[in-house]
Amino acid sequence: MFHNIQHFLSPATAKGPWVWAYIGTAIAVGVAALFALMAVPPRYRKMVVVAITFIGGLYFSLEFLLPHGKHGIVGRFANGLTDAKPGVADWVMIVGAFTLLLGTSNLFQVHGKAVRKMSPGWYNSLAFFISFFLIMIFGFLKDAYLGKHGIAGSVGTASEQLFAILFNGFVQNLDAAMFSLVAFYIVSAAYRAFRVKSAEAGLMMVTAGIVMLGLVPVGTLITSWISPHSWLASLRLERLTVWILTWPSMAVLRAIEFGLSVGYLAMSLRIWLSLERGSFFDRQL
Amino acid sequence: MGGMTEFANPATYVVEGILVFFILWKILSARRGRDLFIRRIPGLSVLDEAVGRATEMGKPMLFVPGLGGLDIVGLQAMAIMSHVIKHAANYSTRVIVPLCDPVLYTVAEEVARDAYTTAGTPEQYISDDIRYLTNQQFAWASGVVGIQHREQTATAFYFGWFAAEALILAENGQIVGAIQVAGTPSIIQIPFFLAACDYTIIGDEYYAASAYLSREPTLLGSLVGQDYGKILMIGLVLLGVIGVTVVALTTHLPGLSWLASAVKRYFLDYFPGHS
Repeated sequence: MFHNIQHFLSPATAKGPWVWAYIGTAIAVGVAALFALMAVPPRYRKMVVVAITFIGGLYFSLEFLLPHGKHGIVGRFANGLTDAKPGVADWVMIVGAFTLLLGTSNLFQVHGKAVRKMSPGWYNSLAFFISFFLIMIFGFLKDAYLGKHGIAGSVGTASEQLFAILFNGFVQNLDAAMFSLVAFYIVSAAYRAFRVKSAEAGLMMVTAGIVMLGLVPVGTLITSWISPHSWLASLRLERLTVWILTWPSMAVLRAIEFGLSVGYLAMSLRIWLSLERGSFFDRQL
Repeated sequence: MGGMTEFANPATYVVEGILVFFILWKILSARRGRDLFIRRIPGLSVLDEAVGRATEMGKPMLFVPGLGGLDIVGLQAMAIMSHVIKHAANYSTRVIVPLCDPVLYTVAEEVARDAYTTAGTPEQYISDDIRYLTNQQFAWASGVVGIQHREQTATAFYFGWFAAEALILAENGQIVGAIQVAGTPSIIQIPFFLAACDYTIIGDEYYAASAYLSREPTLLGSLVGQDYGKILMIGLVLLGVIGVTVVALTTHLPGLSWLASAVKRYFLDYFPGHS
């Protein structure tokens, strides 16, 4: 039964007019659901949201917790839940696609206003519009020609090359340039962090010094006079580094992770059961 | 290990069951009016100071919810943002929220509008202040840095999921002289925030923030339940240490090897990954 439902909800194999039938039905159902939700009185609307949240949470909880197997009703039910996961992921992606439109409309609103009012830096907003439309047009043209005539056609080739210039030449390089700034900021942040203002800061400074030295060849060289087989071998900088990272540092990280996991579970539980207060569920929907 | 699956094993049922029980039990007892103590969290107590500084300087504040989408981390960031906006609205201070995820952007818009309405100043809501920039990590970071420099933000809050751009944002906050408060469940980024921000909340304090700021009994109860859960985790860690030690000591003792196999069979094997 679950396979049939999954097949119906994931019409990836639909062909010809069935594709349009699926699209039309999906739009009609979506619009009807939206109007139905808007028609629901506000006090019941909240209950609808709570119910949908609960069902969504229940699906993922059962999918994880129920024992899977080929035999027995529970095992088959759990298998069906797991098989339906790609379909559920598609729904999430579709919702995401709609919100991308909303996000883009916000960008147009903010930058359109800046260009219209010629506010300071309006040319940056103009650059946004130019780059947005250029990369969109060449991206669409490239894909359209790639599909129909291969990339050999003159428009296809030109689009491909211009898209490559925009994406590989601009976007990726600008991304890399931004990322490379981290190296410089690490230096200034390290300078502030390593100022010895207290005993704790001093301890951290010494520990960080050992770890840094232990990770570079010169650090290994400093204590290379200690034989790796002697009883003092643990004091070699590279071994001290491994010890610090594997034991004290890892213990602290694990402790933080435990706390975070419990906090994550508590927050999930509050959202799932609609118990979160003061932020999302107080307002009358 | 009978009954174990690749999805959940008996240990998962027991541990998660107890954790859920603790959290729900404490939520219910808090809702019945029981007084609960919550210790001071310096990074969150500074909210007044941060808002006051922006108000005095007549500059906006920045709330950065990170790279994450609409998940638990993102929702917690939204909950904290809601409290920050409510607080800022009392002093008519602007809060700019640059977003990286389009789904979270739609939620942020609603939460911000709701926060201003709750504070009694719906007219202060400026739709342009809740901005979707892009879903590309470093393009988004450069957008946020641009806002920091153009608007000369007096205060910056970084709450959410961050990656390599964390230091870029926090260092630029330093450059514009903003007072900075950060909190993230991304453990790797915590040291960067510690180095560059004035206040950093660490670990599960991130999930305690909404309880601390709102003092809602439900959230406070959940927080106390979390603490009980952590005590349980500490207990399990100690049992694990004892168990592994017993196995290591008795495996090669012929008379006690049954103890090693019993500890392994009835306890350690339910926790995959132990060595």
